Amino acid sequence: MEMGENETTTRILIIDDEESILDGCRQALEKSGYQVITTSVGADGVRIARDKRPELAFIDLKMPGCSGMDLIELISKDMPEIVLIVITGYASIVSAVEAMKKGAYDYLPKPFTPDQIRAVTKRGIEHRLLKIEADGLREEKERMERNFITFVSHEMRSPLVTIQQYIESLKMIAGETLNEDAVGIIDRCDKRIQSLQDLIEHWLDMSRIDKGTFSENKEPIIITPIIERTIEELTPLCEKRGIVIESDLKQKPPKIIGDQESLLRVFSNIIGNATKYTMPGGKISVINDFDDFYVYVKVTDTGSGIPQDKLPFIFEPFFRVKGKQERQKGSGLGLTFSKKIMEAHNGKIEVSSKEGSGTTFVLKFPRLYET
Amino acid sequence: MDTKKKILLIDDDKDFLMATKLILEKGGYEVFLAEDGKSGVETAKSVSPDLAIIDMMMETWSEGFNVVSILRTSETGKQIPLIMLSAVDLQGPYQSFEPPENLPTVDLVLHKPIKADELLHQIGNLLKAG
Repeated sequence: MEMGENETTTRILIIDDEESILDGCRQALEKSGYQVITTSVGADGVRIARDKRPELAFIDLKMPGCSGMDLIELISKDMPEIVLIVITGYASIVSAVEAMKKGAYDYLPKPFTPDQIRAVTKRGIEHRLLKIEADGLREEKERMERNFITFVSHEMRSPLVTIQQYIESLKMIAGETLNEDAVGIIDRCDKRIQSLQDLIEHWLDMSRIDKGTFSENKEPIIITPIIERTIEELTPLCEKRGIVIESDLKQKPPKIIGDQESLLRVFSNIIGNATKYTMPGGKISVINDFDDFYVYVKVTDTGSGIPQDKLPFIFEPFFRVKGKQERQKGSGLGLTFSKKIMEAHNGKIEVSSKEGSGTTFVLKFPRLYET
Repeated sequence: MDTKKKILLIDDDKDFLMATKLILEKGGYEVFLAEDGKSGVETAKSVSPDLAIIDMMMETWSEGFNVVSILRTSETGKQIPLIMLSAVDLQGPYQSFEPPENLPTVDLVLHKPIKADELLHQIGNLLKAG
């Protein structure tokens, strides 16, 4: 009985040296509408598989002059889309397990009934379809992730840039004719757009860290100048807000391996956060020190503090400790970003806080031993 | 006689052109716009601007560079100050972007968005120097 060779017929290859097995399989499977190809010569198996591209192949483990195990290894590497099922004559679980390690999906112990081979076949075909679907989805997901970063960076940023340019020109051409309220509104728009841009930047940075494409120029550095630069940049803001920022910095701590730019942003994030949550009249202190293992930076504020039950979540994206005044505006990714950067430096970020009296962040970097 | 200095602005973002044009006109310049590299080069030929501002990334990543190359080798373009605009974060996915060989020189690179007074200040300096 010969089935029609149409496109949708599932092809099954059976490689076994026993003609009676081949006949039995053929009868059982053709009855269910499969197209069956058989060979009793193990060495021909690979050539036929290449030629006919069956969806499924049954392979006898024990054939004269040919190792079924080698066949499985070869076909599973060469044609991974073919689902391989082992026929094992000596019902040995050990050899079946070994075959499955080499890429077989299932095994069929001899002797078997037509119903058994049909059941194993059905399962194998279902497995194949699921695998194809899963592979497709994974590829699609990876492609989308790649495109998305490019998309975000260009398609989302460029309109923001253009809006900012419009605001610039609006201020330029209408600046003198606008009243104070109108100027205030324009400034607020400008600020909100800026924070949207920051959000995109932070988010892009994080996806780059996750994908391992974040550009880091790691080199042996002393962190003190980076801390000093951060404090210098934040001092005007602190003065404006009536917060004292003081520092006690060791000028010659051991070097660490670090990327200046990303560390500058981590320190800006952590110290900047402190300025957001500290009331006028409060104080932020920054010190650095080292022990036998770590160089660390400690940032303490006298701010509103973080409730104990919220502490475990502060590094989660977009998590916010709601302040009474609700004026904290940020990307919601600053701490997440900082933590990832610290991890990329094999460092740690630790936080302790007491509600109402302040928060302390400690950034720890493995110290570099110079020889 | 019109003594206004002429500025050619080449960018594929119409809104960006408009916004920047308003700033430049307020600054007292006569502004010519082009939305792509090809018409930018043609406009340069026909109006002989005193300065040109070119977006780095238009249709393709290298279009801005190509325009600069062509302008720099043309009669009108080789004398005047050229400003290149960039909105590209070179840390990002464009890291792999390699600028063309023999990168043509511009007088200044500015990052978008550009503060109005910064733009006028820089243009003033470049035109004074030239």
